Amino acid sequence: MPQITITINGKQCQCEQGATILQAAKANGIEIPNLCNDESVKVYGACGLCAVEVVDDGKGRALPKLMRACSAKAMDGYVIRFDTERVLQSRKIALELLMSDHTGDCQGPCRMNCPAGTDCQGYVKKIANGDYHGAVELIKEKLPLPASIGRVCPHPCEEQCRRGLVEAPLSIAFLKAFAADKDLAADTYRAVCEADTGKHVAIVGGGPAGLTAAYFLRRKGHAVTVFDSAQKMGGMLRYGIPAYRLPKTVLDREIDEIAATGVTLKNNITLGKDITLDQLRADYDAVIVATGAWSAMSMRCKGEALEGVVGGIDFLHDISSGEGTAPDLTGKTVAVCGGGNTAMDACRTAIRCGAKDVYVIYRRTRDEMPAEDIEITESIEEGVTYKFLTNPAEILGVDGKVKQIKLQIMELGEPDASGRRSPIPVEGKFETIDVDLVIMAIGQVLNPAGLDGITLTRKGTIEADENSFLTNLPNVYAIGDATNRGAGIAIAAIGEANRCADVVDSALKGELKPYRKPFLSTKTVTAEDLADRPKQNRVQMPTRPAEVRRHDFDEVNLGLTDEMAQQEAKRCLECGCHDYDDCKLIRYANWQPITPERLAGVRNVHETERRLVAIERNNGKCILCGLCVRVCDEVAKQGILGLVGRGFTTVVKPEFQNPETIAVCKNCHACVDACPTGALKFLGNE
Amino acid sequence: MKLVIGQGSCGIAAGAGKLYDALAPLLANSSTELGITGCIGMCWLEPIVDLYDGSELKARFVQVKPEDAEAIAKAAETGDLSGVQNLIITEDDAAFLEKQTRIALRNCGIIDPNSIESAVAAGGYGAISHILKDGVTPEDVIDCIKVSGLAGRGGAGFPTWFKWNAARQSKGDRKYLICNADEGDPGAFMDRAVIESDPHTLIEGMLIGAYAIGAQEAIVYVRAEYPLAIKRLTAAIEQAEAAGYIGDNILGSGFSCKFRIKAGAGAFVCGEETALIESLQGERGMPRLKPPFPAEAGYWHEPSNINNVETYANVPWILANGGEAFAAMGTPDSKGTKVFALTGKIRRGGLVEIPMGKTLRDVIFDIGGGIREDKAFKAVQMGGPSGGCIPASLLDTIIDYKTLSATGAIMGSGGMVVMDETTCMVAMAKFFLDFTAKESCGKCVHCRIGTKRMQEILSRIVDGKGQAGDVELLEELCEAIKDGALCGLGQTAPNPVLTAIRYFRDEFDAHIRDHKCPAGACSALLRYTIDPEQCKGCTLCAKKCPVNAISGSVKAPHVIDSDVCIRCGQCKSVCRFHAISVG
Amino acid sequence: MKCECNQKPSDMTLLEPILAEYAEIPGSLITILQHAQEIYGYLPTDVIYRIAERTGNTPAKVMGVATFYTQFRFQPIGKYLILLCDGTACHVNGSARVARAIQEELNIESGGTSADGLFSLSIVACLGCCSLSPVMMINEDTYGNLTPAKAVEILRSIREKEGKAE
Repeated sequence: MPQITITINGKQCQCEQGATILQAAKANGIEIPNLCNDESVKVYGACGLCAVEVVDDGKGRALPKLMRACSAKAMDGYVIRFDTERVLQSRKIALELLMSDHTGDCQGPCRMNCPAGTDCQGYVKKIANGDYHGAVELIKEKLPLPASIGRVCPHPCEEQCRRGLVEAPLSIAFLKAFAADKDLAADTYRAVCEADTGKHVAIVGGGPAGLTAAYFLRRKGHAVTVFDSAQKMGGMLRYGIPAYRLPKTVLDREIDEIAATGVTLKNNITLGKDITLDQLRADYDAVIVATGAWSAMSMRCKGEALEGVVGGIDFLHDISSGEGTAPDLTGKTVAVCGGGNTAMDACRTAIRCGAKDVYVIYRRTRDEMPAEDIEITESIEEGVTYKFLTNPAEILGVDGKVKQIKLQIMELGEPDASGRRSPIPVEGKFETIDVDLVIMAIGQVLNPAGLDGITLTRKGTIEADENSFLTNLPNVYAIGDATNRGAGIAIAAIGEANRCADVVDSALKGELKPYRKPFLSTKTVTAEDLADRPKQNRVQMPTRPAEVRRHDFDEVNLGLTDEMAQQEAKRCLECGCHDYDDCKLIRYANWQPITPERLAGVRNVHETERRLVAIERNNGKCILCGLCVRVCDEVAKQGILGLVGRGFTTVVKPEFQNPETIAVCKNCHACVDACPTGALKFLGNE
Repeated sequence: MKLVIGQGSCGIAAGAGKLYDALAPLLANSSTELGITGCIGMCWLEPIVDLYDGSELKARFVQVKPEDAEAIAKAAETGDLSGVQNLIITEDDAAFLEKQTRIALRNCGIIDPNSIESAVAAGGYGAISHILKDGVTPEDVIDCIKVSGLAGRGGAGFPTWFKWNAARQSKGDRKYLICNADEGDPGAFMDRAVIESDPHTLIEGMLIGAYAIGAQEAIVYVRAEYPLAIKRLTAAIEQAEAAGYIGDNILGSGFSCKFRIKAGAGAFVCGEETALIESLQGERGMPRLKPPFPAEAGYWHEPSNINNVETYANVPWILANGGEAFAAMGTPDSKGTKVFALTGKIRRGGLVEIPMGKTLRDVIFDIGGGIREDKAFKAVQMGGPSGGCIPASLLDTIIDYKTLSATGAIMGSGGMVVMDETTCMVAMAKFFLDFTAKESCGKCVHCRIGTKRMQEILSRIVDGKGQAGDVELLEELCEAIKDGALCGLGQTAPNPVLTAIRYFRDEFDAHIRDHKCPAGACSALLRYTIDPEQCKGCTLCAKKCPVNAISGSVKAPHVIDSDVCIRCGQCKSVCRFHAISVG
Repeated sequence: MKCECNQKPSDMTLLEPILAEYAEIPGSLITILQHAQEIYGYLPTDVIYRIAERTGNTPAKVMGVATFYTQFRFQPIGKYLILLCDGTACHVNGSARVARAIQEELNIESGGTSADGLFSLSIVACLGCCSLSPVMMINEDTYGNLTPAKAVEILRSIREKEGKAE
């Protein structure tokens, strides 16, 4: 065949005469989006995604119409572009239209709701199949500390788990910890790093954010050094979370794994004291600030300066850094102010230190408490007393030492901006209790020491771009509790770290690509939709008895057995699309920003059906590219599938009304292989 | 003497059949013959009876009722027209025909469509006979068509000779000549009238085309909704076969051509030539990608030529009178004549054939007599779902392909629907998108989902639920669909919306912003109210209201509950005191 | 072949002449379906299967073709099929009000069949009788210049005629 020369998006290409533009592009390693094309069947031209503009036909003229690359022949001298505004707009509308009638969940709600985007459904499935190593491999694509995070995460994933609409959400977090423990115990997964790039990144702060960023940058082949002011790495995981929740040995093992990838860890180095930001900027190609938020917030009540008033984080930090030597609170009365997880950690730690009475002072009721409910339950089991609807009015002391705390009695008023009913003081009503120690656990803020030159927000956090993570200083990025909205949960900081690592990597490779939230298809599911699912109770995590565990810092949870874990994992409803990773539709939908919501309208509603026994069909996801029909007809020579109806309500159906259809299908799954989305699923030849 | 009754579909629907039944027994034993013809094109005057003395038209009786039969029979017998003066067409109405130039319609309403003799007497099969007997070559034919400047009358206006030549040049074992009689544009009936009134002209035009491209088979794809057209064409083909115009070795020339009718099965998209081919092959009528064009690979992937009825109907005349004669009519851009189906709020609706270059005003006011009930002319819709509305301000637009396209509408196949002040242009845009969305074949994304979304947006606007930005969103969708749809149906589907926005943007804004329909046509935006000054409390409206939305005591002013009211207008039509207003 | 529906088996001998004439001719599927519908009034499932078998198509293919065209029906229809035109001209001249009147009179929607089995209603795009708009066809007969009242009157006269016939 004679060769001709064409130009595609500025790249000169050779191809055979008679080739279509799509074939020519493919032969030259250029991917023009397309959904309905397949070399094994005749050209169809339905999806319109392969539209290209011939800006010069080789004779100095531009062709007036957009061409479909799948059918238009490449002609010698053609100058073709598929990145012009006109082409992008045509493709954008095509994708928005497709998405406006594509009903399905790309990802399960668990993964959607995980701030780090961990593939919950994916690893849960692997656990169900006993593939723990594979599960950890999958988890570590997003999160390098699964054993630790699995223990401490407030698991937003479980909040959205659709099993919750049936009976109770999956125990996703514990499953993660289970798999990670298994993996650490034997045959530990270790990521393979890309070839060294010669670039160096400094990370300040060795907490979950800093360690995560280090891990992923190292995997990309960059040299990474993590600096931390503490004696050991781990940040809040080590110094903010008590050992009864996260044993230090577990954390140590996971940090060792990170170090094993080649990350350099340097402790006892404080920013502003031992090193300066300027120096790091001079010595490294990029700097990531992940210093966290370590200063307990003030309650702004009288008496805070008294001896015996401590910050929650300081209380926990001192115990943790004391290598297990906890203060002796035997016989003492402790008041913990606050309703979050730090308050929980503080009150339960106080119990373990021998305190006689531990009060949690919280201005609303249990329903409004931000702490996890299981923590509240377990703390009550361990002997903590709750003083709901009270607020510290004044801490009273004698000789400069705490003696009493005066509490303002509150009641609930109208809902505030957060949707929670706001507490209002009941005028003149107070209660006073005798206390020896007051722990302020209402939140933490950033300590800005050493951050000279970095712009802070009005809240006193580092101002960092939400998508590029850049601060005002060039090549200086910031993530985690130290930034923007301030302290949050570890998994959120880890998610930022993961995304930031990609951004820094792109910058180090020459072009900074800010994070762009991917477009994902979602659908609404109600309890009624799941009414036919048999109920399967959630496996409960076995714990040590309260009367035993309240005296030590050993782990409360005993861990799941293999049987328990697999049983629990099998409860998964597999909401996310099986084809998400291979779906061409969603891949192209993320080539450029799209907003299908603006074209929202009537959708074709379809039930998943299994008339072809080995093939599950979900027409809600079908984009009517016709590939299954054509492949079944032209390649498999079966002609079992057909297009039925016309226009918007056209639908792919196997031979209609005939229950014997299943018999004629040879289960060759050529249709499934050809489907560019997840509308078809091969269930296996059983 | 001979009485001839116009028996096109519309004539029959207006009572021409009953009239024939009434006249036949009266003339059974008389010297006056009774015959039929096809559609005369003056549809508003149907049923029409013509009185001939030999070939001379003595009188034309219009809007004739069966009870007039006796008087007409008597007048025909005696030649005394004094008793039927009231039935004779007025000069004004007669001018409707006199102002036309009829080429494609030259025999319509004159000959008997059921009789090949009648057609031959009017010159039928003269052109093909001359070609076959006098050694006119296919190239000569194509040349003659090229000189005539004839362009496809289906809407796109592509030069006919070019398609014929391409099909002639293409190599293939067999070649096919196809007539697209799947006249699907709502508001168009030119092709139906030609087939019902003069099927032999179509056959002859197709024979000439088949000879020119070298086709051995000719196929007419007719809408199934045209039973009378199919019946008459079937009969005409049989007659032509018997007369030796169709079949093997036609007129001893060695040229052979078979004829076949294929009835469509109800899919507008089959008017698109590649979809039509798919349908002819017994498939779903989904368009193919072009290229290859049908001239290269059409029916059964053999070289095929497709034209519509009117295009072929012009061909015998052109061959008989020469390409120059045809080209002498029209404008530099558009030659010859064009047939329009003039309907809507027009005073004289029917078939109009005029030379290209006349203005819209000529057709609508001079020939059509303007708007019914002396309402204000608002716009004319041309080109159906692929065309657009041309506003009153452009009434002097010249009818040729280029000039009409510049307005955003198109020449189209000839549908011309006239609208008056009571027509809401947003609702019209929605009407067309309802149509296109329903007729979309569903193959390409832009058309399948795009027209559906456009239709939804337009629906919410006419329902008073439009949102700011809807018009811009519509425009964006329009541009994308024009660019991205696979076939002509999809690519032109935005035209009705784009012209409506272009010329009547204020109506869109009124619906969206003010929740008002300026034409008073969108029922969701209407409000019926009773004027307490005028209302006498007769209770009639309350009794007639189908949803009990009206309350009030006897002899006291009544009130309409707007939340309950379904805007059916019953109350207003029954009120004897003009107390109910709508706005 | 079995089918899920509870229809009586169709009399295939009626279809045989059509199949004998057209089954071997390529591209005749639509023609065969049209004849089949003329014979049975609609396209019963077993007939579709028989057509598929004899034309060498799969039932999915035949169903795909049949459902593409509005002419084909898969349920029996009434003795009188009303095709009410909603073409541009009819629409402009008030076909929607006529439609509403017919729907109320027969208590059916477009596509439905009246309870007595006498009438089926189908609102169609354009019948090409625009000058008589609004227009409807009942079987082969065309009725023009309709008003809601006139349309109802026509239906009632048919019903009366049928009542007498019985």
